[in-house]
Amino acid sequence: MSNSAKNAPGSFPASSPGANRALAVGIVGIVATAGGLLLPNNTHAVAHSWLVGVTFWVAITIGMLLMTMIHHIFDASWSTVIRRQWEHGLAAFPWLAVLFLPLVLATWFGPRDLIWPWMNPEHVLHGHGTVANDILYVKKSSFLSINMFMGATAIFFTVWIWLSARLRKASFTQDSDGDLKWTRMNRVTAAFGIPLAALSLTFAAIYWIKSLEYHWFSTMYGVWFFANCVRGALAISVLIMLWLYVRGDYKGILNTNHLHSIGQLMLAFTVFWAYVTFSQYFLIWNANVPEETFWYNLREINADGSPNQWKYVGIFVLVFGHFLVPFLYLLSYKHKIVHSKIKFIAIWMPCVIFFDLCYNILPALKNEHGDALPLVSVNFIWTITAVIGVGGIWLYAYLKSLPTAKLIPIRDPRINESLLHHE
Amino acid sequence: MAAQPHGLIATFETAPEVYHAAEKVRDAGYKFWDCITPFPIHGLDKAMGVKRSNVPKFSLTGGIIGFCTGMSMIWFMNAFDYPLVVGGKPYFSPMFAFPVSYELTILFCAFATIGGMFFLNRLPMHYHPVLKHDTIHRGMDDQFFIVIETRDPKFDAARTRALLEKAGGKDIKELEA
Repeated sequence: MSNSAKNAPGSFPASSPGANRALAVGIVGIVATAGGLLLPNNTHAVAHSWLVGVTFWVAITIGMLLMTMIHHIFDASWSTVIRRQWEHGLAAFPWLAVLFLPLVLATWFGPRDLIWPWMNPEHVLHGHGTVANDILYVKKSSFLSINMFMGATAIFFTVWIWLSARLRKASFTQDSDGDLKWTRMNRVTAAFGIPLAALSLTFAAIYWIKSLEYHWFSTMYGVWFFANCVRGALAISVLIMLWLYVRGDYKGILNTNHLHSIGQLMLAFTVFWAYVTFSQYFLIWNANVPEETFWYNLREINADGSPNQWKYVGIFVLVFGHFLVPFLYLLSYKHKIVHSKIKFIAIWMPCVIFFDLCYNILPALKNEHGDALPLVSVNFIWTITAVIGVGGIWLYAYLKSLPTAKLIPIRDPRINESLLHHE
Repeated sequence: MAAQPHGLIATFETAPEVYHAAEKVRDAGYKFWDCITPFPIHGLDKAMGVKRSNVPKFSLTGGIIGFCTGMSMIWFMNAFDYPLVVGGKPYFSPMFAFPVSYELTILFCAFATIGGMFFLNRLPMHYHPVLKHDTIHRGMDDQFFIVIETRDPKFDAARTRALLEKAGGKDIKELEA
């Protein structure tokens, strides 16, 4: 059998032996994270690390869900060859739901304030009574109740899994029958799915991350999370396409204009992330109200006024790493189309998104003075193993889904336009 | 001595013809020449060997100037020329200068892009020698042309004409300057 026939776009891609390796990496990562529980008084740190790991991959998968639906709602053509890889990525949602389960079970059956302090009314706040006596909690208690949290989390995953299943089914079935009704069905799914996904990701960001400091509020929070979701998804899909190109599957399919277009989106969402994140900081800085500024103070100085590690994470990783470096880098045309160059930034971006999530989640871990625990500490090991562990499972889900459908949606009405994508 | 002609113009009937002719002219090493088509032909840039536009360099310069203007303007007004405390904030901080700098980055970038585009393509151009060609109006309708200018170092009346003929050009004429 000739090699070209094996790699024809209408064929099913070969399954990758990487799937089992990814699963192994995932299990090792999860076991290593769980190993952190053996250390004394380490449960909080491990739980927060796990939250970083799960939300990181949930964010990327939501980004892929949104990109798929945005593709359909605009009847886009150029992204048709890329869409199939997003659809495979969506296979990870049920796994992510399972991986989120430990947090749900541990807080439901175990210590209620394991991660989210407001879940335990007896939780002692630093310096002022318990959560139950806290007027700022009482006023928010109808929203911040453990039942609401659990119900909402169940709804989020149900919505994501359901939308993914609809999109995948319609797209995969069209490969065999070429019926245009599937394109229409996907457009309908996108039309109601985009608002559903937008609301669910916003509330997920509020419940899972923002409520770690339930005194604090920011109307930008959902948008901040959305920007990270899409950037992460774009970066990971670039890496997947380059991998498929090197493997031979995407030779003759992926052209420089696809990479140029996706690079432009990466640049746009870099600016968007910066716009949103800066606006949040700027409004709080400008208003200078203690009930908002404490969130940034916690990430800048200790109670005694000395700067802590998060200050430098904020300046160097977020301002420079998350915005300035990718922004200046992606301005160049060459950096968007030369494989090795776009690969660099597609690896860089998920790394800084990881640090952004750390910046938002980990300072909720405090010492006895109420100061945020530093980023670089033993706890960071569990954060890394959690991201690798969940990532292994994510990759396993993707690679298991990959051979189940044709390489590209070969009978999509827009596939020819996508293959001939030009400037 | 009679004025040197502007160049040679050749007529083509179809888009593929002009596309392949452009490749031949490109490969022959000409620099000062152009294609006239009634609509954009995808890939013609590449067939002509045209490099990517230099407009982004203007955009970047404009953006940097805009950003610096915003920052220095706010610093000059609030911290230097007329120091004023607003809302208990420092005289100058990049925080509140940022929205202004950001807007000026976009504004100056847009101006530089438009200006740079007009500078590079030399529009508006009220006269061009090809307008004297009898059938040039069909270049806006159903015909395609290639013009090779005499100022091109490779230009040679006989050899350039032969090249255009070989490339499939019809009705090859000399253009008055």
